[in-house]
Amino acid sequence: MPDTVELRGIHKTYDQFVAVDHLSFNIREGSVYGLLGPNGAGKTSTIRMMIGINIPDEGEVWLFGEKFHREQLQRIGYLPEERGLYKRMKVIEHLIFLGRLHGMSATEAQKRSLEWCERLQLSEWTQKKVEELSKGMQQKIQFIAALLHDPDLMILDEPFSGLDPANAVMLKDVMLDLKKAGKTILFSTHRMDQVERLCESICLIDHGRSVLEGDLKKIKASYGKNTVQMQYEGDLPFDRCELIQSVNNYGNYVEVRLKPGADSQELLRMASQHARISRFELVEPSLEEIFIDMVGQNA
Amino acid sequence: MHNTWLIVRREYLERIRSKAFIIMTLLMPVFMASTILIPAMLSGIKSGGTRRIVLVANNPEVAEAVKQQLIAPPQVSDRTPQKAGGSKSAEQAPRYAVSIDTNATDAERTALRQQITDGKIDGFLWLTDNDLANRKVIYNAKDVTDFGESIELRNAVQTALTKRQLAQKGMSGAEVEDLLKPIDLDSIRIEKGKEGASGISVFLVSFTMVMLLYVNMLVYGFAVMRSIIEEKSSRILEVLLSSVTSKHLLAGKIIGVGAVGLTQTVIWLLVALAFSVPGLMASRSIMSNVQIPMSGIIAFAVFFILGYFLYATMYAALGSMVNSDQEAQQVQWPAMLPIIFSIVLSTPVLQHPNSSLAFWTSMVPFFAPILMFVRVMVETPPMWQIALCIALMLLTTWGLLGLSSRIHRVGILMYGKRPTLPELRKWLRYAG
Repeated sequence: MPDTVELRGIHKTYDQFVAVDHLSFNIREGSVYGLLGPNGAGKTSTIRMMIGINIPDEGEVWLFGEKFHREQLQRIGYLPEERGLYKRMKVIEHLIFLGRLHGMSATEAQKRSLEWCERLQLSEWTQKKVEELSKGMQQKIQFIAALLHDPDLMILDEPFSGLDPANAVMLKDVMLDLKKAGKTILFSTHRMDQVERLCESICLIDHGRSVLEGDLKKIKASYGKNTVQMQYEGDLPFDRCELIQSVNNYGNYVEVRLKPGADSQELLRMASQHARISRFELVEPSLEEIFIDMVGQNA
Repeated sequence: MHNTWLIVRREYLERIRSKAFIIMTLLMPVFMASTILIPAMLSGIKSGGTRRIVLVANNPEVAEAVKQQLIAPPQVSDRTPQKAGGSKSAEQAPRYAVSIDTNATDAERTALRQQITDGKIDGFLWLTDNDLANRKVIYNAKDVTDFGESIELRNAVQTALTKRQLAQKGMSGAEVEDLLKPIDLDSIRIEKGKEGASGISVFLVSFTMVMLLYVNMLVYGFAVMRSIIEEKSSRILEVLLSSVTSKHLLAGKIIGVGAVGLTQTVIWLLVALAFSVPGLMASRSIMSNVQIPMSGIIAFAVFFILGYFLYATMYAALGSMVNSDQEAQQVQWPAMLPIIFSIVLSTPVLQHPNSSLAFWTSMVPFFAPILMFVRVMVETPPMWQIALCIALMLLTTWGLLGLSSRIHRVGILMYGKRPTLPELRKWLRYAG
């Protein structure tokens, strides 16, 4: 079975600036794939080239086992980071309009819009104008617009930004259902916790280049259990400790990366001399840790 | 193409249903009617009051003749154009209540002056034989700024004297009337050997139509520009571009907005027709002998549509470069300048429709909508010229649409500062 998305060395420059630098990755059918990177890394440029808004200077985009052509867009749902709606249109008319642009008939678009509005608790709002809706509601409408035509590939750029936790969970559940139904989801963000919970594979890009790509579990395993999460009361002199490579303080707890070959038991002995330890756990590094590590190195 | 149609449909329906459109469409005829009617009504109110005038003369016959002239409705020839302001004096009751005073003394003059001050009379006309011989009469009144009144009084005196003298030379009343009938000059356009519309009416109709072309290109061209900017600022653009190309989006937008403009113009023309036809039937006014040549009507439709498309694509290119309405104001001059320039050129072209100036300027696609239309209206140019001109306009529009969509596609990525010309060249390259 061909991969849903296959990027073959796509490259795009604007004047002197290299937005995407010979980037390649594949997304397996039915998987949730995370496209990560700091702001300005080239995530959005990559996505825009995948769906033909821009054309790469070099390289090729293959979707569903075929070289990119515009008819494929009817099988793709896109929720861009820069998103909005026509303010003065009625919600239902707006959804029908966007559905028809993706090749649906008016009646089908209406039927599915109403179904989705009900599922996302927007039923009372379908006859209202977009401008009367709250920001969170508008965002749910945009989400519906992206999946209305039952696309095989969904591209979601920061889908949770600006949503309250209840709505974020609602959206996440929909995404998991879509995954169960065999849809492929490309999920672009710089929120590592979400990626860790949802994605199977990731591509971390920085300055338009892929710096880390592959199966999330394997990536984390390759780092080994060289990270310690600690909760304690007191003051720990991490900066004078020779065992430690880096420290990340999350407020409630501290995540410590050990130097290669350092013994975690030695750290525990050192720490217990200075503070009361309530938790000491050897874990795989969090994605955030890896992210900061990779991006920090390349910066 | 299916997507373009969907864009057209949305753009059209949303605009037609908007309050702004409905209000504008209704208010414009009201506004136009009031600019014509209110001044007429205002002058009607003023002239409604009767002016009390005293004619002071040694010779009661002279005074009587002038009085008759003043209270009788002014002579109107059968074909005299009745302007909005001119027709009322013919139909209304005499404006003057005239009394005659044969006591032409200085004491009487002082007394009459006192009467003016007291408001008993509005004015008096000093018509002594001596003054008449010098052909210089004096009118005293509280307010003498109404030039219409001065002219009416002068004409009345002049006509009365002329009639009297002609009668004294032995002419009958009817002969005198006949002699004094005003003369009309009408220039009639010859088209294919037949008499067409008269000069003045062709000018007026052409002028109105040119204004409609001008307003349509400016207002709806600018609407296209704003609509593009609105899609950028409301951030819906990228959602649209995930299923529509920039070219189809712009084409759909231009057609949709244009259809709105066409709808509005047709409504206005129908309203104008509905209101003016009964009026035209009733009064044999200047417009009644207007026969707009069929070629003119077709040319209007053709240049209305082509002109709109040309300028709308130009506005689309400009709108694709900027991100806000303020910036739009700053960059719209490349579209406005040629329109204004062609309005300026329309006068010499109207006067010399066959000059080489008229030929060359009407071949420039940006001037053509107005100038070629004017040429067709005054003297239909050879068919090949019209065909060439239309072909050039279509080509330019097509080229501009391609250019606009390239700018549009890159423009969405470039938030912030609008591009300079060299940057714009790079944009076109990026669009690939």
